[in-house]
Amino acid sequence: MAVEKLKWFEMNNLPIRYKLIIHFLLISILPSLGLAVLINWTVDQIIEKQVNENTLQIIGKVNGTLESYASNMQNISYFIAFDPGVKRFLLGGEENREDDHYEIRKFLQGFTTLYSEIAGILVVNNRGAYISNEMYARYPSNLTEETWYRAAVEGKGIFKIIGHPRGRNVTTHVNYKDDEVISVVRAILDPDTQNVLGVVLIDLKLRVIAETVKDVRLGKSGYLAVIDEYGENIYSPARPIIAKLPKEWFRDGNSGTFSKRVDGKKLQFIYRKSAFTNWTTVGVFSTNDSTMEVREIRFYVVSFVFFVCLVGIAASFYLSYSISRPIGQLMSFMRKAEQGDLAIRYRGDRMDEVGMLGQSFNKMLMQINKLISHAELQERQKREAELRSLQAHIKPHFLYNTLDTIQWMARKKGAEDVAEVVESLSRLFRIGLSKGNDMIPLEEEFAHIHSYLTIQKVRYREKLQYTLNMAPETRRLSVLKVILQPLVENAIYHGIKERRGPGHVWVEAGVSGGRLILRVGDDGAGIPEDRLKALRQSLQAVFPADDGKAMKHALSGYGIINVQARLKLTFGDAFGIHIDSEAGQGTTVTITHPIIADARPEQNEQG
Amino acid sequence: MKKLLAIYALLIGAFLLYLFYYQMHDSKENPWDNQGLRGEIGEKYVMVTFQAGIDYWKSCLKGFEDAAQALNVSVEFRGSTQYDAHEEMTVLEQVIAKKPAGIALSAINPQMLNATIDKAVDAGIPVVLFDSGAPASKAYSFLGTDNFNAGATAARKMAELLDNKGEVAVITSVNQLNHQERTKGFQDTIVRSFPNMRVVAIKDGKGDRVASREAAQEIMAKHPNLAGIFVTEANGGVGVGEAARYDGKDKKMKIISFDTDKGTLDMVREGTISATLAQGTWNMGYWSLLFLFHLAHGMVQPTNKQTANPLPLYVDTGITVVTEENVDYYYAR
Repeated sequence: MAVEKLKWFEMNNLPIRYKLIIHFLLISILPSLGLAVLINWTVDQIIEKQVNENTLQIIGKVNGTLESYASNMQNISYFIAFDPGVKRFLLGGEENREDDHYEIRKFLQGFTTLYSEIAGILVVNNRGAYISNEMYARYPSNLTEETWYRAAVEGKGIFKIIGHPRGRNVTTHVNYKDDEVISVVRAILDPDTQNVLGVVLIDLKLRVIAETVKDVRLGKSGYLAVIDEYGENIYSPARPIIAKLPKEWFRDGNSGTFSKRVDGKKLQFIYRKSAFTNWTTVGVFSTNDSTMEVREIRFYVVSFVFFVCLVGIAASFYLSYSISRPIGQLMSFMRKAEQGDLAIRYRGDRMDEVGMLGQSFNKMLMQINKLISHAELQERQKREAELRSLQAHIKPHFLYNTLDTIQWMARKKGAEDVAEVVESLSRLFRIGLSKGNDMIPLEEEFAHIHSYLTIQKVRYREKLQYTLNMAPETRRLSVLKVILQPLVENAIYHGIKERRGPGHVWVEAGVSGGRLILRVGDDGAGIPEDRLKALRQSLQAVFPADDGKAMKHALSGYGIINVQARLKLTFGDAFGIHIDSEAGQGTTVTITHPIIADARPEQNEQG
Repeated sequence: MKKLLAIYALLIGAFLLYLFYYQMHDSKENPWDNQGLRGEIGEKYVMVTFQAGIDYWKSCLKGFEDAAQALNVSVEFRGSTQYDAHEEMTVLEQVIAKKPAGIALSAINPQMLNATIDKAVDAGIPVVLFDSGAPASKAYSFLGTDNFNAGATAARKMAELLDNKGEVAVITSVNQLNHQERTKGFQDTIVRSFPNMRVVAIKDGKGDRVASREAAQEIMAKHPNLAGIFVTEANGGVGVGEAARYDGKDKKMKIISFDTDKGTLDMVREGTISATLAQGTWNMGYWSLLFLFHLAHGMVQPTNKQTANPLPLYVDTGITVVTEENVDYYYAR
């Protein structure tokens, strides 16, 4: 199972089409995916860093604004202390002077005229008497007992931000609630004794702080909140992510960045402390909530990857198809050829490698066809010749056994000449059979001819003279069997027999020009010119034009054609028979035969 | 080919899914600014008054601020420091130059500011008037006390206090339309409904405590039988109260004042002032901003003032008579 699975993954076993598709997809889509991931990561990093920096800067600006409000309040508290009317009031004495109070009220009204962010100003002296346009005690009790008064006294003339007033006995006429204002106080000291003469209380509307802070939008859903040094909320939005920011979180340093998991939400905090107001402005936003810019960039990147995928897939499919399809076609052609349909041809005008392969394939098929038909013809001719040879020799085989018997009987009876003829005849047949071998040593061929001529000599007596002349180096060379006998037969029947008086037949074997030359000559009648021409033509045309007919002719007397055909079939066109003849002078037939050394050991001819 | 189509369908499907997700995520608004009417914190609405320091506006501004808080917009309070029409015009011009989202204006004078108001409206800045109007201007609406009616109410209360007989006087701010109307309402009602009563003097208190006190002392010296004084304005009311206190007539002289600042309420509580008329000042500020918000966001039909008035032309913010019995409700809680 595991091996099979492995095999499935093996690249080499995949069709080329899939290989190409995978290849193109890898090239086009993988880098773009990698690029997308990289861009995403980088953008995330950079923007997060920038957002943090920006947020810190914004917080710094917000702190600056808050400080300027606070320092404004501080200035006002000083300014109030400078007023001679206020001084008189603080020092006491003529407290009930209505006009004095009226003047102070007018004076204080000036501040609220100029600074609409002030909800109220209250001046209280160290005996608990107070003057204010907007504020008054809810119930008659000494205002010097109040916590804010004591805090101012502790500050010894230093401006102090109380934060949201809590449970104080002072209310504003226009009904500002405690969490709608921020209280600041400052004690006014006697410059000589450093005794506290009174306290200025100013209520600042939270609205101005809220407007400053609310204006800041961090990322998508982040916000700013302000807490004071005690961890009390100065400002937080209507629906904050986190209700209370513990001051412990913002202990280290004046500013910082950290993330925390709160109620299962991962939040990022960026804060900066203001030394003047002692407030910490905190930026809070969810870490999961990436900023708009990142989202937008991510959107473009995803769209780009999608586009690349779309184009890449189409392109890879098309490219792989365009490459693999002709290969597939060629393959199906080859398969058909493989199954035996050699007539099929690749058709296409492509000039690329596949086209060239197709052309080569066509050429190869043509070549194969030619070779096959050639081999078929050769094989058939060989078979037919063999068959004929067998047919010609099976009967003589029985005959030659009988002849052997006759020879022995003739010798017994003392008829030596009969015995000699019969023996020659018997040898003739034995060589003719030759155990079915195509090639025999020239020696044997000559022995065969000798037997043949011996028999013919008995018949023709003095009319036939013959000479056998074999060069000694040719004795052991192999030749096609029975190639001389038809020629000698022709020489006797058409040459010697037709002439008047005794004739002479000679057979020679020699080597010339790297070839074995066998020559059969006679001084017989010769061949008339026109017949010689026809004979030469038929010798020329013996192969491969008309095979069957030539063979038939050979059987019916034209043994020479048979020999020529066998030579050409066996050794090719370079070898064959040549006839020279002159009427009345005689005929010479020359066989050009390759030199083939006989590899076989000499053997006895045992029938 | 079919396989390719399938892959494409898959790809496009995935991409559409991503688009859908992206859109969904995008439309998911910030969780803390998607309820009801919400503006931008950068949107600035300006309240312009005259005599900006006086306590009277503080309640209007509170209403304005409360509405701003509810709508998540910014507000600013501007005004002339003095009782000076030219200064208010200058302030208004400055405000218009800053192109705010809307202006709530209390006009010092019914005519002086018309051109400037029209300029603001033509520049596309919605303007509504509150407390004291400028009827000839292009301002969209006026929210304030029906001053004639208030004067009439004061007259009826005065008649009730004096058993329908006696001499009465009025201390007012003669240049201001609203004060003129209050005076007229008071006078007309006395003449029409109470034949045994008579308005013997109408004096300018200049909206100031000391000036009003002096005016009251003058009248009291001139008309020893004076039984009641109607003061159309709060600072003057306190001044008249002081004048009555000095004269020792505090228990006899019936004073009807206007508005509910601390001084007035204290005097109502101790009985120096018999009654005061509480205006819906908080309402003026609050509804002014709502009107402006609707105009600035084109939420009213039609938005063009030329064809028809998109908002109620006049809104009466009502009046309540405050006496010793109910004065405690008007103190801040």
